[in-house]
Amino acid sequence: MPEWIEIKDVSKKIDGFQLGPVSLSIEPGTITALVGNNGSGKSTMLKMIMNLANPDSGEIRVLGKPVDGKDESWKRHVTFQPQNAVGWNAYTGEDLKRLIAPLYPKWDEAVFERMISLFDIPLNKRFGKLSPGVQQKLSLSLALPRSTDILILDEPTASLDIPSKNLFMDCLVEWMEQEDRAVILTTHETEDIRKLADYLFLMQGGKPLGHFEKDILAAGYRRFWLHEMPAGPLPGELSRTENQLVSDNPDATERYLSEHGSPVIDTKALELEEIISLLLK
Amino acid sequence: MLPIRLSKDSREPIYHQIEKQLKALIAGGHLAAGFPLPSIRALSKELEISVITIRRAYQDLESQGFIETVHGKGTFVKEVQSAMKQKTMTASVRAEFERAIQNAMDYDYTVDEIEKVFAETLERLGKGE
Repeated sequence: MPEWIEIKDVSKKIDGFQLGPVSLSIEPGTITALVGNNGSGKSTMLKMIMNLANPDSGEIRVLGKPVDGKDESWKRHVTFQPQNAVGWNAYTGEDLKRLIAPLYPKWDEAVFERMISLFDIPLNKRFGKLSPGVQQKLSLSLALPRSTDILILDEPTASLDIPSKNLFMDCLVEWMEQEDRAVILTTHETEDIRKLADYLFLMQGGKPLGHFEKDILAAGYRRFWLHEMPAGPLPGELSRTENQLVSDNPDATERYLSEHGSPVIDTKALELEEIISLLLK
Repeated sequence: MLPIRLSKDSREPIYHQIEKQLKALIAGGHLAAGFPLPSIRALSKELEISVITIRRAYQDLESQGFIETVHGKGTFVKEVQSAMKQKTMTASVRAEFERAIQNAMDYDYTVDEIEKVFAETLERLGKGE
């Protein structure tokens, strides 16, 4: 299958902040979480995909079409939900639906109605009068029913309460049952990453740190509890305390320990959250 | 929901753990022929594992004849021949014994000691029936 999004050597300078060069491919059928410290350039990257910000160099293709402002017909097949909806405040949910739905040929009214009822959203109130959490719920209820090939969500769960987060995850999983769809989302919530993401794209200070398959990343780090700590550093060693050693190459560490007759009391995988913190340190 | 319990601390690859447990559920008759398995995406969320890993496990199980994917309908448990069921059960039981014996050997148990523990455990569990 062709890539749904192809970002090649894209870079951009904004007020002295250097973003990129970034390269990233998104395949259909996958959910990619864009993860990074605040101000790492995640939102700017999403905007560049949508042609809302222009890269200084490099190339972006969406559904095979170049993102260069000439032919924008691909936009009907892509949903973008920014952190803050611009220009929505004066409209009610009902108004917004009537404006948005006709733009998307595959608009799914049943999904919209179900989400409105699940999230218990008042459609007759102006967007600007809703709390940030309800605004986010309404935005999501206006995003998923568009049934586009690509869904781009900038921090979709940031203001949601716990039950709503779970509802949203269920809705998104169901949305992804159509296997030719793809999702990119930025998030600081490890719950989103654990339950939704297939791939993680990590960014720090505008630089990409890597594109990881979640389970391979999770299997790549281990903590060893040892009777006696050998003189170091050991192969794979990232950090050590009196009796614990964290490794980013567990096989090499284990081999060394067994060759040197160092008994291991216990060994555990690291939580994804800890691995991300190590990488973004 | 499937009663699958993954150990992320185990060195056994996750896709292998999923395969083994699904095989045991099917061979043990807990999942009957025709039973609809969760979609790859739904199981991915439930087990907190990527669709890439789940897909790999499903593909392996499909090529070994335990499940089948019907395009547009989903994935279902297949009728498994009794020879295959027997083979799976034997392999699973043997693997458990191997693990237990390996554990005892790690603690420097002798063969006699291991046999004694085995006999005692068998007697205690046998009486419990």
